[in-house]
Amino acid sequence: MLGVRALFGIGLLVTSRGGSVLTHTGACAHVSSNIYSKGLAHRQACTMANTIKYLGQEEAQHIDEELFNEYSFSVDQLMELAGLSCATAVSKGYPLQSLLKSPPRVLVICGPGNNGGDGLVCARHLKLFGYEPSVLYPKRPNKQLFLNLTTQCEKMDISFLTEMPEADVIDEVYNLVVDAIFGFSFKGAVREPFGDILSQLKKITVPIASVDIPSGWDVENGCPDGIQPDMLISLTAPKKAANHFKGRYHFLGGRFVPPALEKKFQLNLPPYADTDCVYQLN
Amino acid sequence: MNHSSNEKEPETIEPLRYISKTEVATIETELLRDYRFGQQQLIEIWGHACAIAITKVCEVNTNYTVHRCDLHNSLYLPLPEYEPTIFYPKRSPQSLHQDFTVQCEKMDIPFLSYLPTEVQLLNDAYNLVIDAILGPETDHKEVKEPYAGMLVTLKQVKIPIVSVDVPSGWDVDEPAKDGINPEVLISLTAPKKCATGFSGKHFLAGRFLPYDIQKKYELNLPEFPGTECVIEL
Repeated sequence: MLGVRALFGIGLLVTSRGGSVLTHTGACAHVSSNIYSKGLAHRQACTMANTIKYLGQEEAQHIDEELFNEYSFSVDQLMELAGLSCATAVSKGYPLQSLLKSPPRVLVICGPGNNGGDGLVCARHLKLFGYEPSVLYPKRPNKQLFLNLTTQCEKMDISFLTEMPEADVIDEVYNLVVDAIFGFSFKGAVREPFGDILSQLKKITVPIASVDIPSGWDVENGCPDGIQPDMLISLTAPKKAANHFKGRYHFLGGRFVPPALEKKFQLNLPPYADTDCVYQLN
Repeated sequence: MNHSSNEKEPETIEPLRYISKTEVATIETELLRDYRFGQQQLIEIWGHACAIAITKVCEVNTNYTVHRCDLHNSLYLPLPEYEPTIFYPKRSPQSLHQDFTVQCEKMDIPFLSYLPTEVQLLNDAYNLVIDAILGPETDHKEVKEPYAGMLVTLKQVKIPIVSVDVPSGWDVDEPAKDGINPEVLISLTAPKKCATGFSGKHFLAGRFLPYDIQKKYELNLPEFPGTECVIEL
């Protein structure tokens, strides 16, 4: 193969492709390059899950910056993939046929930043997957990206609530809540109306699926009296707070990390199966 | 009760619509203007779905060459262990496309500096060619260089061609008589008129179209299984 490529002549930007492919799988040296034997991959993944890196807050921010600055990804792009991962994880953990309430209503609570944006994308994909999401989006940033994502949801007939329902109403009407309030940049005190929202969430009995970080938790140390989600969808790589996660489902999503970035930060990400955009960590 | 021998007859399902060149343009304008989708977002969705469709046609560890604008779907191909090589002769000055180029370069995806006209070289080095050269917005009657030359080469390769959206050089509204002959077609959003009667493998990729648009244009899109964004037609 290499011989034939050499015939292509000068100026051909072919790197040692074979080498870099091996490097990609090299991080998990015992995983064969043919990942198509799913059973094998799963067993190996269980041992590998222990070696995945759990990020601190600053590290998570550095990775984000590098994705945008060095790798030229745009927020729109990554947000689309993140939101899609969240919707996919939700449908794996809470498949339509398993829901107790009909119609398959889901409440998506979106915060004031990028985590909220992930939630908007997630809501749109949940709708396409057959769920009936409603969005609560009390604090909307005045940026084009978020205005556009909101319009996309509205045009998909996703209703936007005007206020946070009481815990007992949530339990009655919705099958689950997607928590897309605060992400890995969260620091300090919780401003209203989110304080009130989080206290309602502590009282509900339907499951909560948190996007990236359970909202209100310290990104590294968790929060013993904070909300206790049933599902956590870690984006890009899990953060240290995930060590305190006690729910049933921990998914990894955001399958867009370039191999070089993964290596640089020694993320040791597990091998996603086939073309899946989520990977179940527990 | 009258039962036919076929238990579940889908008599009420309307057939999938194959859309025209003008409809493609109108739908895209609506998506951008009224539904506020972004260009980058749409390309991300299409590229992602395309890459998934490609994995359904070929095995792992194959080498590819990708032509031009769908840089995007080549970003995904290394993830499931494929080895794409890109040929991107006319770089768009749009920063959007420049960003996609950087993303590919940073994923160690090699870019060819020229496309060999010696077809045997392509046949030997690659398992498959992804044709993402010309889309439905081009005027098939006026294909300029270097694309005209590339199409001549593509007509001669023995390895399979996978065309993205519209086989390059084809009239969007009619099947081509002497154009390139892809084995696989991946239609984006909805199939185009030229794909009617396409004899190769035909996939529909991209699951994002709002229901209102689907209804307005009577697209009658098939139901995607589970959370899949690709379906074989």
